[in-house]
Amino acid sequence: MCASSVIPGTTLGATRRIRTTSGAATGQLARQRPAQPVAWTEAEAIRLAQAGNAAAFEFLYQLHGRRVYALCLRMVGNPADAEDLMQEAFLQLFRKIGTFRGESAFSTWLHRMTVNVVLMRLRKKSLPTDSLEETLEPDAENSAPKRDVGAPDLRLSGAVDRVNLERSIEQLPPGYRTVFVLHDVQGYEHNEIANIMGCSVGNSKSQLHKARTRLRELLQEEIRQQAREERKAAKSPTGSLD
Amino acid sequence: MHCKELESVLEAEGLGQLSKDARLHLATCGDCQAYVADLNCIVSAAKTLPAEVNPPDRIWISLRAQLEAEGLIKEPVEVSEGYSWLETLGGWLKPRALATVTVAALVLVSAVYIKRLPQTSPVGVANNQPAVASSGPAKPQVISAAPASPAPALNAHPQIQAPVKTKELAPSPSESASFALSQAELDVPNMQLAGNSQVDASLRQNLRTLNAFIAECELHLKQNPQDELAREYLNTAYQQKADLLAAMMESGRGDN
Repeated sequence: MCASSVIPGTTLGATRRIRTTSGAATGQLARQRPAQPVAWTEAEAIRLAQAGNAAAFEFLYQLHGRRVYALCLRMVGNPADAEDLMQEAFLQLFRKIGTFRGESAFSTWLHRMTVNVVLMRLRKKSLPTDSLEETLEPDAENSAPKRDVGAPDLRLSGAVDRVNLERSIEQLPPGYRTVFVLHDVQGYEHNEIANIMGCSVGNSKSQLHKARTRLRELLQEEIRQQAREERKAAKSPTGSLD
Repeated sequence: MHCKELESVLEAEGLGQLSKDARLHLATCGDCQAYVADLNCIVSAAKTLPAEVNPPDRIWISLRAQLEAEGLIKEPVEVSEGYSWLETLGGWLKPRALATVTVAALVLVSAVYIKRLPQTSPVGVANNQPAVASSGPAKPQVISAAPASPAPALNAHPQIQAPVKTKELAPSPSESASFALSQAELDVPNMQLAGNSQVDASLRQNLRTLNAFIAECELHLKQNPQDELAREYLNTAYQQKADLLAAMMESGRGDN
Protein backbone atom coordinates (compact mmCIF):
# COMPACT_ATOMS: atom_id res chain seq x y z
CA MET A 1 0.00 0.00 0.00
CA CYS A 2 1.64 3.20 -1.12
CA ALA A 3 0.68 6.67 0.06
CA SER A 4 0.20 8.96 -2.86
CA SER A 5 0.77 12.66 -2.60
CA VAL A 6 -2.02 13.31 -5.09
CA ILE A 7 -5.04 14.32 -3.07
CA PRO A 8 -8.40 13.67 -4.68
CA GLY A 9 -11.27 15.86 -3.65
CA THR A 10 -9.39 18.19 -1.35
CA THR A 11 -10.70 21.44 -0.01
CA LEU A 12 -8.82 23.03 -2.88
CA GLY A 13 -11.42 21.54 -5.12
CA ALA A 14 -9.54 19.45 -7.61
CA THR A 15 -7.55 16.27 -7.98
CA ARG A 16 -4.10 17.70 -7.80
CA ARG A 17 -1.09 18.02 -5.53
CA ILE A 18 -1.45 20.35 -2.61
CA ARG A 19 0.65 23.39 -3.35
CA THR A 20 2.03 25.86 -0.90
CA THR A 21 4.50 28.70 -1.08
CA SER A 22 7.98 27.70 -0.09
CA GLY A 23 9.59 30.28 2.21
CA ALA A 24 8.58 33.84 2.93
CA ALA A 25 10.16 36.85 1.25
CA THR A 26 12.46 37.18 4.23
CA GLY A 27 15.45 34.93 3.88
CA GLN A 28 14.20 33.56 0.59
CA LEU A 29 17.29 34.46 -1.42
CA ALA A 30 19.53 33.20 1.33
CA ARG A 31 18.01 29.74 1.14
CA GLN A 32 17.98 29.93 -2.68
CA ARG A 33 14.43 28.50 -2.85
CA PRO A 34 12.01 29.40 -5.57
CA ALA A 35 9.26 31.86 -4.81
CA GLN A 36 6.64 29.96 -6.80
CA PRO A 37 4.45 27.30 -5.10
CA VAL A 38 5.89 23.77 -4.85
CA ALA A 39 4.22 20.36 -4.63
CA TRP A 40 5.32 18.47 -1.54
CA THR A 41 6.09 14.82 -1.27
CA GLU A 42 5.01 13.04 1.88
CA ALA A 43 8.60 12.95 3.13
CA GLU A 44 8.96 16.72 2.71
CA ALA A 45 5.69 17.34 4.50
CA ILE A 46 6.75 15.12 7.39
CA ARG A 47 10.03 16.99 7.73
CA LEU A 48 8.24 20.34 7.70
CA ALA A 49 5.62 19.13 10.13
CA GLN A 50 8.38 18.05 12.49
CA ALA A 51 9.50 21.70 12.39
CA GLY A 52 6.00 22.90 13.25
CA ASN A 53 4.80 24.00 9.82
CA ALA A 54 1.01 24.35 9.89
CA ALA A 55 0.55 23.77 6.17
CA ALA A 56 2.55 20.56 6.43
CA PHE A 57 0.24 19.28 9.17
CA GLU A 58 -2.74 20.00 6.97
CA PHE A 59 -1.08 18.32 4.01
CA LEU A 60 -0.64 15.10 5.99
CA TYR A 61 -4.18 15.34 7.33
CA GLN A 62 -5.59 15.72 3.82
CA LEU A 63 -3.38 12.89 2.55
CA HIS A 64 -4.50 10.30 5.09
CA GLY A 65 -7.64 11.68 6.71
CA ARG A 66 -10.22 10.03 4.49
CA ARG A 67 -8.87 6.51 5.02
CA VAL A 68 -8.53 7.05 8.74
CA TYR A 69 -12.07 8.38 8.99
CA ALA A 70 -13.42 5.46 6.95
CA LEU A 71 -11.67 3.01 9.28
CA CYS A 72 -12.96 4.75 12.41
CA LEU A 73 -16.48 4.91 10.99
CA ARG A 74 -16.58 1.20 10.21
CA MET A 75 -15.09 0.30 13.55
CA VAL A 76 -17.54 2.21 15.71
CA GLY A 77 -20.54 2.50 13.41
CA ASN A 78 -21.54 6.10 14.14
CA PRO A 79 -20.17 9.42 12.83
CA ALA A 80 -19.96 11.19 16.20
CA ASP A 81 -17.65 8.61 17.74
CA ALA A 82 -15.73 8.27 14.48
CA GLU A 83 -14.99 12.03 14.46
CA ASP A 84 -13.73 11.95 18.04
CA LEU A 85 -11.56 8.96 17.35
CA MET A 86 -10.13 10.44 14.18
CA GLN A 87 -9.23 13.67 15.92
CA GLU A 88 -7.64 11.76 18.77
CA ALA A 89 -5.63 9.60 16.37
CA PHE A 90 -4.27 12.61 14.47
CA LEU A 91 -3.55 14.48 17.66
CA GLN A 92 -1.45 11.57 18.91
CA LEU A 93 0.24 11.38 15.54
CA PHE A 94 1.21 15.06 15.44
CA ARG A 95 2.37 15.03 19.06
CA LYS A 96 4.71 12.16 18.27
CA ILE A 97 5.69 13.12 14.74
CA GLY A 98 9.08 14.28 15.96
CA THR A 99 9.89 10.67 16.82
CA PHE A 100 9.08 9.32 13.36
CA ARG A 101 12.28 7.98 11.81
CA GLY A 102 10.91 6.40 8.64
CA GLU A 103 11.56 2.82 9.76
CA SER A 104 8.03 1.94 8.68
CA ALA A 105 5.69 3.59 6.21
CA PHE A 106 4.04 6.70 7.60
CA SER A 107 0.56 5.40 6.74
CA THR A 108 1.29 2.16 8.60
CA TRP A 109 2.37 4.16 11.64
CA LEU A 110 -0.75 6.29 11.46
CA HIS A 111 -3.08 3.33 11.06
CA ARG A 112 -1.44 1.57 13.97
CA MET A 113 -2.19 4.56 16.16
CA THR A 114 -5.73 4.72 14.82
CA VAL A 115 -6.41 1.04 15.51
CA ASN A 116 -5.02 1.38 19.03
CA VAL A 117 -7.13 4.46 19.72
CA VAL A 118 -10.26 2.73 18.43
CA LEU A 119 -9.72 -0.50 20.33
CA MET A 120 -8.94 1.36 23.54
CA ARG A 121 -12.21 3.24 23.17
CA LEU A 122 -14.14 0.03 22.52
CA ARG A 123 -12.60 -1.61 25.57
CA LYS A 124 -13.47 1.35 27.74
CA LYS A 125 -17.05 1.14 26.59
CA SER A 126 -17.03 -2.54 27.60
CA LEU A 127 -18.91 -3.63 24.55
CA PRO A 128 -19.66 -7.38 24.47
CA THR A 129 -16.85 -8.08 22.07
CA ASP A 130 -13.72 -10.18 22.02
CA SER A 131 -10.49 -8.51 23.04
CA LEU A 132 -7.85 -8.00 20.42
CA GLU A 133 -5.46 -10.39 22.17
CA GLU A 134 -8.13 -13.08 22.28
CA THR A 135 -8.99 -12.76 18.64
CA LEU A 136 -5.33 -12.87 17.67
CA GLU A 137 -4.69 -16.14 19.47
CA PRO A 138 -4.41 -19.00 16.99
CA ASP A 139 -6.82 -21.06 19.06
CA ALA A 140 -9.42 -22.02 16.50
CA GLU A 141 -11.42 -24.18 18.91
CA ASN A 142 -12.74 -21.38 21.08
CA SER A 143 -12.95 -18.31 18.91
CA ALA A 144 -13.46 -19.46 15.35
CA PRO A 145 -16.92 -19.45 13.84
CA LYS A 146 -18.09 -22.97 13.17
CA ARG A 147 -19.03 -24.17 9.76
CA ASP A 148 -21.35 -27.13 9.80
CA VAL A 149 -19.85 -29.39 7.27
CA GLY A 150 -22.50 -31.11 5.25
CA ALA A 151 -25.37 -28.83 6.31
CA PRO A 152 -27.21 -27.02 3.51
CA ASP A 153 -26.17 -23.36 3.47
CA LEU A 154 -28.14 -20.43 2.27
CA ARG A 155 -26.45 -19.14 -0.86
CA LEU A 156 -25.37 -15.53 -0.69
CA SER A 157 -24.85 -15.05 -4.37
CA GLY A 158 -26.97 -12.10 -5.49
CA ALA A 159 -28.20 -11.45 -1.95
CA VAL A 160 -25.32 -9.44 -0.53
CA ASP A 161 -25.60 -5.70 -0.90
CA ARG A 162 -23.70 -2.84 0.68
CA VAL A 163 -26.33 -2.11 3.29
CA ASN A 164 -26.57 -5.57 4.83
CA LEU A 165 -22.83 -6.08 4.47
CA GLU A 166 -22.09 -2.87 6.42
CA ARG A 167 -24.65 -3.89 9.03
CA SER A 168 -23.00 -7.29 9.36
CA ILE A 169 -19.51 -5.78 9.60
CA GLU A 170 -20.67 -3.75 12.59
CA GLN A 171 -21.55 -6.97 14.35
CA LEU A 172 -18.12 -8.52 13.96
CA PRO A 173 -15.78 -8.66 16.98
CA PRO A 174 -13.30 -5.75 16.88
CA GLY A 175 -10.30 -7.87 15.96
CA TYR A 176 -12.08 -9.58 13.07
CA ARG A 177 -13.62 -6.29 12.01
CA THR A 178 -10.27 -4.48 11.93
CA VAL A 179 -8.56 -7.09 9.80
CA PHE A 180 -11.51 -7.40 7.41
CA VAL A 181 -11.81 -3.63 6.89
CA LEU A 182 -8.07 -3.17 6.44
CA HIS A 183 -7.74 -6.05 3.96
CA ASP A 184 -10.94 -6.43 2.01
CA VAL A 185 -12.21 -2.84 2.14
CA GLN A 186 -9.08 -0.69 2.25
CA GLY A 187 -6.77 -3.06 0.40
CA TYR A 188 -3.86 -3.45 2.82
CA GLU A 189 -1.68 -6.52 2.43
CA HIS A 190 -1.17 -8.99 5.24
CA ASN A 191 2.38 -7.84 5.97
CA GLU A 192 1.09 -4.28 6.40
CA ILE A 193 -1.78 -5.45 8.58
CA ALA A 194 0.68 -7.43 10.69
CA ASN A 195 2.67 -4.20 11.26
CA ILE A 196 -0.46 -2.25 12.08
CA MET A 197 -1.91 -4.85 14.43
CA GLY A 198 1.34 -6.01 15.95
CA CYS A 199 0.78 -9.62 14.98
CA SER A 200 2.22 -12.15 12.56
CA VAL A 201 1.25 -12.52 8.90
CA GLY A 202 -0.17 -15.96 9.69
CA ASN A 203 -2.39 -14.48 12.37
CA SER A 204 -3.59 -11.81 10.00
CA LYS A 205 -4.59 -14.44 7.41
CA SER A 206 -6.29 -16.56 10.03
CA GLN A 207 -8.27 -13.65 11.44
CA LEU A 208 -9.33 -12.58 7.95
CA HIS A 209 -10.66 -16.04 7.13
CA LYS A 210 -12.54 -16.19 10.41
CA ALA A 211 -13.96 -12.72 9.78
CA ARG A 212 -15.23 -13.76 6.35
CA THR A 213 -16.74 -16.97 7.72
CA ARG A 214 -18.48 -15.07 10.53
CA LEU A 215 -19.77 -12.51 8.03
CA ARG A 216 -21.21 -15.36 5.99
CA GLU A 217 -23.14 -16.56 9.02
CA LEU A 218 -24.37 -13.06 9.82
CA LEU A 219 -25.45 -12.43 6.25
CA GLN A 220 -27.24 -15.77 6.06
CA GLU A 221 -29.06 -14.91 9.25
CA GLU A 222 -29.87 -11.49 7.83
CA ILE A 223 -31.34 -13.06 4.71
CA ARG A 224 -33.35 -15.57 6.76
CA GLN A 225 -34.66 -12.75 8.93
CA GLN A 226 -35.73 -10.78 5.86
CA ALA A 227 -37.42 -13.86 4.44
CA ARG A 228 -39.30 -14.39 7.74
CA GLU A 229 -40.45 -10.80 7.78
CA GLU A 230 -41.64 -11.03 4.21
CA ARG A 231 -43.61 -14.17 5.00
CA LYS A 232 -45.06 -12.52 8.07
CA ALA A 233 -46.08 -9.50 6.07
CA ALA A 234 -47.70 -11.75 3.49
CA LYS A 235 -49.76 -13.58 6.16
CA SER A 236 -50.97 -10.41 7.90
CA PRO A 237 -54.74 -9.58 7.87
CA THR A 238 -54.19 -6.89 5.26
CA GLY A 239 -52.32 -9.24 3.08
CA SER A 240 -54.10 -12.45 3.81
CA LEU A 241 -53.82 -15.17 1.32
CA ASP A 242 -57.44 -16.20 1.77
CA MET B 1 -8.80 -34.06 1.11
CA HIS B 2 -11.76 -33.57 3.48
CA CYS B 3 -13.87 -30.50 4.11
CA LYS B 4 -12.02 -29.72 7.34
CA GLU B 5 -8.71 -29.85 5.56
CA LEU B 6 -10.00 -27.48 2.90
CA GLU B 7 -11.05 -25.14 5.70
CA SER B 8 -7.49 -25.20 7.06
CA VAL B 9 -6.07 -24.46 3.62
CA LEU B 10 -8.42 -21.51 3.18
CA GLU B 11 -7.47 -20.18 6.62
CA ALA B 12 -3.75 -20.39 5.91
CA GLU B 13 -3.69 -19.32 2.24
CA GLY B 14 -6.87 -17.38 1.60
CA LEU B 15 -9.04 -17.54 -1.50
CA GLY B 16 -6.20 -17.12 -3.94
CA GLN B 17 -4.65 -19.93 -5.91
CA LEU B 18 -5.61 -23.22 -4.27
CA SER B 19 -3.54 -26.38 -4.39
CA LYS B 20 -4.38 -29.23 -6.71
CA ASP B 21 -5.84 -31.34 -3.87
CA ALA B 22 -8.06 -28.45 -2.77
CA ARG B 23 -9.33 -27.93 -6.30
CA LEU B 24 -10.04 -31.63 -6.68
CA HIS B 25 -12.08 -31.62 -3.46
CA LEU B 26 -14.01 -28.53 -4.55
CA ALA B 27 -14.87 -30.21 -7.83
CA THR B 28 -16.59 -33.03 -5.93
CA CYS B 29 -18.07 -31.30 -2.84
CA GLY B 30 -21.15 -29.12 -3.35
CA ASP B 31 -21.14 -27.73 0.18
CA CYS B 32 -17.55 -26.55 -0.07
CA GLN B 33 -18.30 -25.08 -3.49
CA ALA B 34 -21.13 -23.07 -1.98
CA TYR B 35 -18.91 -22.06 0.95
CA VAL B 36 -16.11 -20.78 -1.25
CA ALA B 37 -18.60 -19.07 -3.58
CA ASP B 38 -20.15 -17.23 -0.61
CA LEU B 39 -16.77 -16.09 0.65
CA ASN B 40 -15.88 -14.78 -2.80
CA CYS B 41 -19.22 -12.99 -2.91
CA ILE B 42 -18.43 -11.29 0.40
CA VAL B 43 -14.98 -10.23 -0.82
CA SER B 44 -16.47 -8.81 -4.03
CA ALA B 45 -19.11 -6.88 -2.09
CA ALA B 46 -16.46 -5.53 0.29
CA LYS B 47 -14.52 -4.11 -2.64
CA THR B 48 -17.53 -1.96 -3.54
CA LEU B 49 -17.47 -0.29 -0.14
CA PRO B 50 -15.65 3.07 -0.25
CA ALA B 51 -12.14 2.80 1.16
CA GLU B 52 -12.20 6.51 1.94
CA VAL B 53 -14.89 8.71 3.44
CA ASN B 54 -14.70 12.50 3.59
CA PRO B 55 -14.59 13.67 7.19
CA PRO B 56 -16.45 16.85 8.22
CA ASP B 57 -14.42 20.06 7.96
CA ARG B 58 -14.90 20.77 11.65
CA ILE B 59 -12.48 17.96 12.51
CA TRP B 60 -9.52 19.78 10.96
CA ILE B 61 -10.62 23.12 12.42
CA SER B 62 -10.80 21.62 15.88
CA LEU B 63 -7.57 19.68 15.38
CA ARG B 64 -5.68 22.74 14.23
CA ALA B 65 -6.89 24.75 17.20
CA GLN B 66 -5.67 21.99 19.50
CA LEU B 67 -2.28 21.89 17.76
CA GLU B 68 -1.90 25.64 18.18
CA ALA B 69 -2.95 25.47 21.82
CA GLU B 70 -0.31 22.82 22.48
CA GLY B 71 2.34 24.84 20.66
CA LEU B 72 2.93 22.17 18.04
CA ILE B 73 2.42 24.70 15.24
CA LYS B 74 5.26 27.20 15.00
CA GLU B 75 4.39 30.13 12.71
CA PRO B 76 7.28 31.99 10.97
CA VAL B 77 8.27 35.45 12.33
CA GLU B 78 6.63 38.28 10.37
CA VAL B 79 8.71 41.11 8.94
CA SER B 80 7.76 44.64 10.00
CA GLU B 81 6.84 47.16 7.26
CA GLY B 82 9.39 49.84 8.06
CA TYR B 83 12.60 47.91 7.54
CA SER B 84 11.26 45.21 5.28
CA TRP B 85 13.77 45.75 2.48
CA LEU B 86 16.70 46.00 4.83
CA GLU B 87 15.70 43.00 6.87
CA THR B 88 14.98 41.04 3.72
CA LEU B 89 18.50 41.56 2.50
CA GLY B 90 19.84 41.17 6.01
CA GLY B 91 18.17 37.82 6.11
CA TRP B 92 19.84 36.99 2.84
CA LEU B 93 23.20 38.01 4.09
CA LYS B 94 23.17 36.43 7.53
CA PRO B 95 23.08 32.77 6.66
CA ARG B 96 25.78 33.04 4.02
CA ALA B 97 28.34 30.54 5.01
CA LEU B 98 31.18 32.52 3.49
CA ALA B 99 30.51 35.49 5.75
CA THR B 100 32.64 33.86 8.44
CA VAL B 101 35.82 34.66 6.52
CA THR B 102 34.97 38.27 5.53
CA VAL B 103 37.77 39.77 7.57
CA ALA B 104 40.39 37.76 5.74
CA ALA B 105 38.80 38.54 2.39
CA LEU B 106 38.69 42.25 3.19
CA VAL B 107 42.37 42.22 4.04
CA LEU B 108 43.08 40.52 0.72
CA VAL B 109 41.04 43.01 -1.24
CA SER B 110 42.56 45.93 0.61
CA ALA B 111 46.01 44.64 -0.30
CA VAL B 112 44.92 44.46 -3.93
CA TYR B 113 43.62 48.00 -3.68
CA ILE B 114 46.79 49.36 -2.15
CA LYS B 115 48.91 47.55 -4.72
CA ARG B 116 46.92 48.93 -7.65
CA LEU B 117 46.63 52.45 -6.27
CA PRO B 118 49.07 54.81 -8.08
CA GLN B 119 50.58 57.96 -6.50
CA THR B 120 47.67 60.34 -6.13
CA SER B 121 47.18 64.07 -5.55
CA PRO B 122 44.66 65.30 -3.02
CA VAL B 123 42.28 66.32 -5.77
CA GLY B 124 40.24 63.81 -7.66
CA VAL B 125 40.66 60.67 -5.59
CA ALA B 126 37.07 60.49 -4.36
CA ASN B 127 35.72 61.09 -7.82
CA ASN B 128 37.86 58.36 -9.28
CA GLN B 129 39.57 60.86 -11.55
CA PRO B 130 42.98 60.19 -12.98
CA ALA B 131 45.51 61.43 -10.46
CA VAL B 132 48.08 63.97 -11.41
CA ALA B 133 51.55 63.65 -10.05
CA SER B 134 52.97 66.64 -8.34
CA SER B 135 55.57 68.37 -10.38
CA GLY B 136 57.37 69.56 -7.39
CA PRO B 137 57.16 72.83 -5.61
CA ALA B 138 55.24 75.38 -7.56
CA LYS B 139 57.36 78.03 -9.25
CA PRO B 140 56.33 81.54 -9.04
CA GLN B 141 54.23 82.81 -11.85
CA VAL B 142 53.67 79.24 -13.13
CA ILE B 143 50.39 77.58 -13.12
CA SER B 144 51.09 74.01 -12.17
CA ALA B 145 47.64 72.59 -11.72
CA ALA B 146 46.32 69.71 -13.88
CA PRO B 147 43.53 70.29 -16.36
CA ALA B 148 41.04 68.82 -13.89
CA SER B 149 42.10 71.23 -11.22
CA PRO B 150 39.05 73.09 -10.10
CA ALA B 151 40.78 76.50 -9.63
CA PRO B 152 44.00 76.80 -11.59
CA ALA B 153 44.18 80.56 -11.09
CA LEU B 154 44.58 80.09 -7.40
CA ASN B 155 47.84 78.23 -7.88
CA ALA B 156 49.48 81.07 -9.76
CA HIS B 157 50.85 82.71 -6.66
CA PRO B 158 53.04 80.55 -4.48
CA GLN B 159 51.53 81.98 -1.38
CA ILE B 160 48.07 81.12 -2.40
CA GLN B 161 47.09 77.55 -2.64
CA ALA B 162 43.77 75.97 -3.31
CA PRO B 163 42.03 74.87 -0.16
CA VAL B 164 42.72 71.26 0.60
CA LYS B 165 39.67 69.11 0.42
CA THR B 166 40.16 67.00 3.46
CA LYS B 167 37.35 64.72 2.43
CA GLU B 168 39.16 63.80 -0.72
CA LEU B 169 42.48 63.47 1.06
CA ALA B 170 41.07 60.86 3.46
CA PRO B 171 38.23 58.88 1.85
CA SER B 172 35.77 57.24 4.24
CA PRO B 173 36.16 53.52 4.98
CA SER B 174 33.04 52.80 2.93
CA GLU B 175 34.33 54.67 -0.07
CA SER B 176 37.71 52.96 0.21
CA ALA B 177 36.10 49.58 0.39
CA SER B 178 33.81 50.39 -2.51
CA PHE B 179 36.70 51.48 -4.68
CA ALA B 180 38.83 48.51 -3.67
CA LEU B 181 36.09 46.11 -4.47
CA SER B 182 35.44 47.78 -7.80
CA GLN B 183 39.08 47.40 -8.70
CA ALA B 184 39.09 43.77 -7.73
CA GLU B 185 35.96 43.23 -9.76
CA LEU B 186 37.64 44.51 -12.91
CA ASP B 187 39.23 41.13 -13.52
CA VAL B 188 36.05 39.13 -13.00
CA PRO B 189 34.43 39.44 -16.45
CA ASN B 190 37.42 37.85 -18.13
CA MET B 191 37.85 35.01 -15.69
CA GLN B 192 36.50 31.54 -16.09
CA LEU B 193 35.39 31.01 -12.52
CA ALA B 194 34.67 27.33 -12.52
CA GLY B 195 34.62 24.36 -14.87
CA ASN B 196 30.85 24.11 -14.69
CA SER B 197 29.30 26.99 -16.65
CA GLN B 198 26.16 26.85 -14.54
CA VAL B 199 28.22 27.47 -11.41
CA ASP B 200 30.00 30.26 -13.22
CA ALA B 201 26.69 31.86 -14.17
CA SER B 202 25.38 31.42 -10.64
CA LEU B 203 28.41 33.16 -9.12
CA ARG B 204 28.10 36.06 -11.53
CA GLN B 205 24.39 36.33 -10.81
CA ASN B 206 25.14 36.48 -7.10
CA LEU B 207 27.64 39.26 -7.76
CA ARG B 208 25.13 41.23 -9.81
CA THR B 209 22.54 40.86 -7.06
CA LEU B 210 25.03 42.03 -4.46
CA ASN B 211 26.08 45.02 -6.59
CA ALA B 212 22.46 46.04 -6.99
CA PHE B 213 21.99 45.88 -3.23
CA ILE B 214 25.13 47.91 -2.61
CA ALA B 215 24.01 50.59 -5.09
CA GLU B 216 20.64 50.77 -3.40
CA CYS B 217 22.22 51.08 0.04
CA GLU B 218 24.61 53.79 -1.14
CA LEU B 219 21.76 55.76 -2.68
CA HIS B 220 19.74 55.39 0.52
CA LEU B 221 22.67 56.59 2.61
CA LYS B 222 23.16 59.64 0.41
CA GLN B 223 19.56 60.58 1.11
CA ASN B 224 19.65 59.51 4.74
CA PRO B 225 23.23 59.82 5.95
CA GLN B 226 22.16 59.35 9.57
CA ASP B 227 20.65 55.90 8.97
CA GLU B 228 23.04 53.74 10.95
CA LEU B 229 21.17 50.55 10.17
CA ALA B 230 21.59 51.11 6.44
CA ARG B 231 25.25 51.88 6.99
CA GLU B 232 25.69 48.65 8.90
CA TYR B 233 24.01 46.69 6.12
CA LEU B 234 26.20 48.42 3.53
CA ASN B 235 29.35 47.52 5.39
CA THR B 236 28.15 43.96 5.69
CA ALA B 237 27.43 43.93 1.97
CA TYR B 238 30.97 45.12 1.24
CA GLN B 239 32.29 42.30 3.35
CA GLN B 240 30.08 39.84 1.55
CA LYS B 241 31.25 41.12 -1.82
CA ALA B 242 34.87 40.86 -0.75
CA ASP B 243 34.21 37.33 0.36
CA LEU B 244 32.45 36.47 -2.88
CA LEU B 245 35.20 37.96 -5.04
CA ALA B 246 37.83 36.09 -3.08
CA ALA B 247 35.90 32.88 -3.53
CA MET B 248 35.42 33.56 -7.25
CA MET B 249 39.11 34.25 -7.74
CA GLU B 250 40.04 31.15 -5.79
CA SER B 251 37.62 29.08 -7.80
CA GLY B 252 38.98 30.46 -11.06
CA ARG B 253 42.56 29.70 -10.09
CA GLY B 254 41.68 26.25 -8.95
CA ASP B 255 39.80 25.27 -12.04
CA ASN B 256 42.06 26.84 -14.65
